[in-house]
Amino acid sequence: MQTNSLSQPNIKTQLRALFVIARKDWKVFWRYPLNAVSNILQPIIWITPVYFMGKAFSTNGQAVGFAQYSGTGDYMSFILLGTVLSNFILTVFWGMGYALKEDMDMGVLESNWLTPVSRILILVGRTLASLLTTTITSLIMLVIAGALFGFKPTGNTLAAFLTAIPMLLGLYGFGFAFAAIVLLMREANTLVDVSSFLVQGLSGANFPVKSLPYWLIPISLMLPLTYGFDAVRGFLLNTSTILPLQTEVALLIIFMFVMLWFGAWVFYKVERRVRTLGTLGQH
Amino acid sequence: METSLSPRSLGQPGFLSDLRAFGAVLLREWRIFMRYPSWMIALFIWPLIFPMMYILTGRALSGPDGSGLEVFTQVTGATDFIGYIVIGTTVWMWQNIVLWDVGFSLRNEQMRGTLESNWLSPTWRFSYLLGHTGPQIISMLMFIGITALEFGLLFGVKLNGSVWMILLVMLAAIPAIYGLGFAFASLVITVKEANAFVFLIRGLVMIFCGITFPISLLPGWMQSFAMWLPPTYLIHGMRAAAFSNAGVTELLPDLIPLALFGVLWLILGYSAFLLMERRARRTGAIGQY
Repeated sequence: MQTNSLSQPNIKTQLRALFVIARKDWKVFWRYPLNAVSNILQPIIWITPVYFMGKAFSTNGQAVGFAQYSGTGDYMSFILLGTVLSNFILTVFWGMGYALKEDMDMGVLESNWLTPVSRILILVGRTLASLLTTTITSLIMLVIAGALFGFKPTGNTLAAFLTAIPMLLGLYGFGFAFAAIVLLMREANTLVDVSSFLVQGLSGANFPVKSLPYWLIPISLMLPLTYGFDAVRGFLLNTSTILPLQTEVALLIIFMFVMLWFGAWVFYKVERRVRTLGTLGQH
Repeated sequence: METSLSPRSLGQPGFLSDLRAFGAVLLREWRIFMRYPSWMIALFIWPLIFPMMYILTGRALSGPDGSGLEVFTQVTGATDFIGYIVIGTTVWMWQNIVLWDVGFSLRNEQMRGTLESNWLSPTWRFSYLLGHTGPQIISMLMFIGITALEFGLLFGVKLNGSVWMILLVMLAAIPAIYGLGFAFASLVITVKEANAFVFLIRGLVMIFCGITFPISLLPGWMQSFAMWLPPTYLIHGMRAAAFSNAGVTELLPDLIPLALFGVLWLILGYSAFLLMERRARRTGAIGQY
């Protein structure tokens, strides 16, 4: 006797599943409104010392030293834009791995895995609501921080936005690979905290990478995110860039395709391995 | 004939038995601490990478010709901007770790399900909280020592003062920092999920206490508020002791407020603990989580 599955997966059902996952995360997020407040205030708290530190390095409100590296003396707009991009990076890059860990701890990962939904899609679904909430909280944060410290975009907003898209899509590839590490290691908090801090630091979230010590610059130039931060700032704040803007955008597009393929490949390899070992339900 | 027997506890609490209970809690915490050696990684990595982000931003603000650094030196009077930032960020990390470790110590015990049974033993209950503090102070001293070593070796940060004076300022700050931790631990037991409070307190230290800048750069009302936060004096005192060769006399304006805040926070911490204990017994909240 042949057994037939009742499920009939097609694009429509997969999209429905994606929507359901996103709606569930959206509901969970707004059940804890303090989280939203924290998401808005935390970045402001972290950059306040930089604002006052910048004053200690400035003459008549102009950070002349900073301008020599970045092409702008407006260090707060530079840092605020880096902070907003970092929020999105955290959501995509680490969000999927964290979501898997959360499902593991709550004991729902194995049952979710049994549904006839593409596993990569489950991961992507976990980022959709966060992307929306990150957009909302980041915009509010930008308005508040702009009023407190000043935010003066002088360039092309549309070009900056379009440049951020291949960067974020490429990060999905990173996210898949990182989710694979979580599946394998099951506990990766220290790894996440330290690497997230280092990757963001070295790719120039808070300062121009040209100012790094000479031995750190090659590492920074190897990170695709460096070109993402640099190009978005180049378009929006008219800062001086490491490479010509067109070259940086081309690099980001290549990086997007390579990372999406590589991340998905790693994820499927590891996922097959944990299914063989039967360790999916362990945490 | 009817005889009534009043129940007698086998426990005979006294000063010595309280001391023994405190020792037992201390030993248990030390064992738990040593059983999870992954803290060793954090102990070496965090002192380096957290200040690093501010130091690298400072480097960028200095400019390739160091013009920004000249302004910073004039404003702060600090010749070593790396050391200046390291002291501020280390104090912030100290306060942050105490809030998570000491502040959540009773809560963690509650989550493990052992708090209620421990509460029933005829011991001085405050020893549960004090016992957590001992290993925490030792690990914090190691943390600060490693920070000094790493920045001395890798970045050439040199002390221009007395180590004893730095230790004196730190010693004066211990009651205030841990007193706040005790008060916080009682609050956590009452409200259960208190992460937002940690973010609030550490945020206040980050904004007002001058971890990367002199507080003279703050607007007047922020400077007045900063005077009510003990880490402001700790950071100022440690910088003066480490880089300006300040002696006891020069450090008195920092030592006296630290000592006063220490007394205040210890009293507040202990009172909050007694209040929480009484409330928890009345409402049965000790076993709830």
